[in-house]
Amino acid sequence: MDTLVTITVVSDSKDNAEKAIDAAFTEIEILDKLLNFYSHDSEIANINNQAGISGVKVSADVFEVLNKTLYVSEMTEGAFDVTIGPVSMLYDFHKKIKPSEYGIKKNLQLVNYRYLVLDKDTSTVFLMKKGMLVDPGGITKGFAADKAVEVLKKRGIHSGLVSVAGDIKTFGLKPDGKPWKIGIRDARAVDKEDDVMGTIELKDMAISTSGDYERFFILDGQRYHHLLNPKTGYPALGCRSVSVITSEAVFTDAFATGAFVLGPEKGLKLLERLEFEGVIVDNQGKIYVTAGLRGKIELKKSF
Amino acid sequence: MLPPASEEKLSLKNLFSSTTTADKILFSVLILLSLSGIIFMREALSRSETVRIEVDGQPEYLLPLDKNRVVPVKGPKGTTCVEIKDHKVRVTESPCHNKLCMQQGWVSNGAIVCLPNRVVVIVGNHGKHHKTADAITG
Amino acid sequence: MQLQDKYRIALLSAYALGLHGFESLLPTPIPWLRIGLANIITLVTLLLYGLRPAIMVTLIRVILGSLFTGTFLGPAFILSLGAGIASTLAMGFALSIAPRIFSAIGLSIIGAFFHNTAQLSLAYFLFIQNIEAIFFITPLIIFLGTLTGTVNGIISDLLIKNLKKDDQKIQNVIKI
Repeated sequence: MDTLVTITVVSDSKDNAEKAIDAAFTEIEILDKLLNFYSHDSEIANINNQAGISGVKVSADVFEVLNKTLYVSEMTEGAFDVTIGPVSMLYDFHKKIKPSEYGIKKNLQLVNYRYLVLDKDTSTVFLMKKGMLVDPGGITKGFAADKAVEVLKKRGIHSGLVSVAGDIKTFGLKPDGKPWKIGIRDARAVDKEDDVMGTIELKDMAISTSGDYERFFILDGQRYHHLLNPKTGYPALGCRSVSVITSEAVFTDAFATGAFVLGPEKGLKLLERLEFEGVIVDNQGKIYVTAGLRGKIELKKSF
Repeated sequence: MLPPASEEKLSLKNLFSSTTTADKILFSVLILLSLSGIIFMREALSRSETVRIEVDGQPEYLLPLDKNRVVPVKGPKGTTCVEIKDHKVRVTESPCHNKLCMQQGWVSNGAIVCLPNRVVVIVGNHGKHHKTADAITG
Repeated sequence: MQLQDKYRIALLSAYALGLHGFESLLPTPIPWLRIGLANIITLVTLLLYGLRPAIMVTLIRVILGSLFTGTFLGPAFILSLGAGIASTLAMGFALSIAPRIFSAIGLSIIGAFFHNTAQLSLAYFLFIQNIEAIFFITPLIIFLGTLTGTVNGIISDLLIKNLKKDDQKIQNVIKI
């Protein structure tokens, strides 16, 4: 599992490269401070604290992120929903605690993206019901990757990639003229940390992968992972992993989660409708690839 | 092909009987220089390249050793300061009681652990150079 | 040059070729590394007949050898040629400016050293531009080269002693 932020750039000046990379890391830290669900003083925490009470004025970045989550929620018909907070908090992946049926039913009433209200004119965000919690974790990493790349470009970097815990945005070509080569992790890899199921070359595109192996525990033979279905409160079981490719990482991040919850057939249809590319591995291990990706993805032999 | 075997015994002394002083000096010098070269190469190769800092078992930083810097690492008890200098790593400050981690001094290969603050600093080669891909998603 | 010497040189070249061919049939883990048995012939020629014959034997061996194996004018040929000439010249030079200082063994070591150095330099300038890789293998090659040079030197030395004895015997027979 990738939990690190890695920035790779091509530059003919080491000094320039280091300055650009430092600036990009700083940008990511700033965004984390604003968007972190677990921090006490992030803007997200403020919104959650004022749920059912009042709207909270937020910075442009936070507004942009939440606005985009509403778009993704619409397009995925609710399969992606950042208001899943109250239900996801019931799961503890360290201590292997799963919620009771009663707990899920109760908190599910607080899950609905239509109760997340955004006012563009005042840049305000309001959660209509008390107890609602917005957790943008499924989109912030992609958003951060995009912003980091913008910072790198402003600093004169023409080629590189930013990976925020596996949500990757690439730009430009490598020094040998070839595009950046991204590996997709094998959902059931056991040996080394980075065992890949295939690789793909990306030209100025982003890619994200949602998988049932990132945060999970197995209880009574059943796998409980962190990609919950906002309609049921339980982990979505149709897929092992979903990888999405398009030009912005903010969307690859969110739609990877959304498509995962929709399941292999609906998820694939959604991607094709949006004209995104992607790879879906269903719960049997069967691989589905969008039409535009056929021949472009190099799968490892055993697949 | 070879001429008929000599009547004299082929003892070790006979084999080297023609060697001059210059021969021996030449031989020794070359052997010594090349051997030290080999050993030096081995050393240079097994040199550490990266330091990996984990907090609570989770990787927080993966940094190269070729840039000097000070990294403040936030742990449950406070901030542990890790310094990277001249390809070596040490802990300069830590909120723990017995400061064992700070007493370790400079480490160029191995690990420094601050148990109370749950910080683990591993100096080595973390194989971040994946051969088939530039980055991994998932 | 006496007729007998010309025959000898032709014979020695043949031996050199034969040894080279035989050696290339031997399996070895490191393709680049040969004991260089043919260098024995070069050294013996140098010591008995001088520099020019030695160079001729080397040239004949390298050119004919590459023609036989089909690597004429290829990279292996260039490396062999350069290394062979360099090592023969170096040994000849050492022999002429310091005649008694080095024995056959010392000369062989010198030959091996220049042989390897020439090979590494040519490989770098013509084929592998990666200086780091070259630096990396140089100590090992010099080390092994010194050892094989010593072995070759000992064999050359023995050969010369026996050849000289043969000459003695032939001359004694003629006298009688």
